[in-house]
Amino acid sequence: MTRAVLVPGTLALLPEYASIEDPVAELRAACLRAVGWLGADVTVLADQQGARVAEHLLASSTRTSDEPSYLVVGNGSARRTEKAPGHLDARASGFDSDLGRWLRDGRFDEVAALDRRLAQELWAGVDPIIELAGVPDLSVGQVDYEGDPFGVQYWVIRWASQIP
Amino acid sequence: MTLRLGRHEFADDATLMMAIVNRTPDSFYDRGATWDEERALERVDLVVAEGAEIVDIGGIKAAPGVRIGPEEEKSRVVDFVGRVRAAYPGLVISVDTWRAEVGRAVCEAGADVLNDAWGGADPELVDVAAEFGAGLVCTHTGGATPRTRPYRVEYDDVVAAAIGDTVAYAERAVAAGVAPESVVIDPAHDFGKNTFHSLELTRRLGEMVATGWPVLVSLSNKDFVGETLDLPVGERLPGTLAATAVCALAGARIYRVHEVAETRQVVDMAWSIAGRRPPRRAIRGLQ
Repeated sequence: MTRAVLVPGTLALLPEYASIEDPVAELRAACLRAVGWLGADVTVLADQQGARVAEHLLASSTRTSDEPSYLVVGNGSARRTEKAPGHLDARASGFDSDLGRWLRDGRFDEVAALDRRLAQELWAGVDPIIELAGVPDLSVGQVDYEGDPFGVQYWVIRWASQIP
Repeated sequence: MTLRLGRHEFADDATLMMAIVNRTPDSFYDRGATWDEERALERVDLVVAEGAEIVDIGGIKAAPGVRIGPEEEKSRVVDFVGRVRAAYPGLVISVDTWRAEVGRAVCEAGADVLNDAWGGADPELVDVAAEFGAGLVCTHTGGATPRTRPYRVEYDDVVAAAIGDTVAYAERAVAAGVAPESVVIDPAHDFGKNTFHSLELTRRLGEMVATGWPVLVSLSNKDFVGETLDLPVGERLPGTLAATAVCALAGARIYRVHEVAETRQVVDMAWSIAGRRPPRRAIRGLQ
């Protein structure tokens, strides 16, 4: 059974950016729980920065099962609030709402048809998520974390597929 | 090496605030504000709340003045040490004294550290520190007699003199049985020094840190700050904090201070700039 996990590309998860008090403690815990559920052999779908996040999370987890696995690093808009990195864009909320619903419901055909230009304008890191849509027969998602504590939409979601 | 101060241990990278608590009617900065014992205890409560790891209790002001004998000095500090010990078991209690007789009495009352601001003037102080397992602060005064002001003192190299004397004192303490991890050295700004000497010691503090002995600095509101900025006591905090930042960048471990909260911020900031301490909580640009 194939397993897949989505985590955000939050650089604060990296050890080189560790604080005395972890600003993303809840997110980190959710990421590690989900990544620990993956098999030993993991295909990473991520951009260059996201790959560093994936590598760190994988190195921080113990995974023993032999399920073929994907770790996807992506997130929604970084323009959700006035304090967000990209300031407020009124379209961000609707964009993330749609994408979140499709991810939770396993509607990857709609994920695959995402408006990439809008995603770019909204500072959403979705390319690896769209790549995940190519994995066949992913189930409904199990949400481990959903929130935007810093004006960036994060999800930690797990999917499984019956096809090995 | 882990720093051990009496019954307390601190990690290699820890910086410590040593809050001054005077049991004197005439110290230069507070002018007797904690001469009353209850006011002194309130001062301890305050500095503990502000995060001080150490209190440094002194019964005699450093400057010349009315002679205070050992009995009078003990009457000012010994019972007070006992009260602080009872109230704050986790607090490091240091006593600012050069007298072995006083050192013995305060150690019996629960002191953890003997802060010998007068650079080994009483040769038996090391034996007391050894006997009680106390920490010892070894300062440089250039051989000055306790409670005297510098007068036309000059050095070929003040930093070399400070390192030579404090390290020799530290080694004498260890030879007498003081645990090496309980010995701290202090260049003693203003003591046996003019302002130029104290500025140079600040500028070159890294050379003292490089000896490997933990370095204590006592900068708070001192005359070298006042003369450098031409400011009276009471207006020297920014200058004190600037000197503090320079010493922190160089790696000083213990800061003897009047203002705990402000010094803690400066030391933490400088320590983080030096790459020895992570930020408290960094998320900017890392979301």
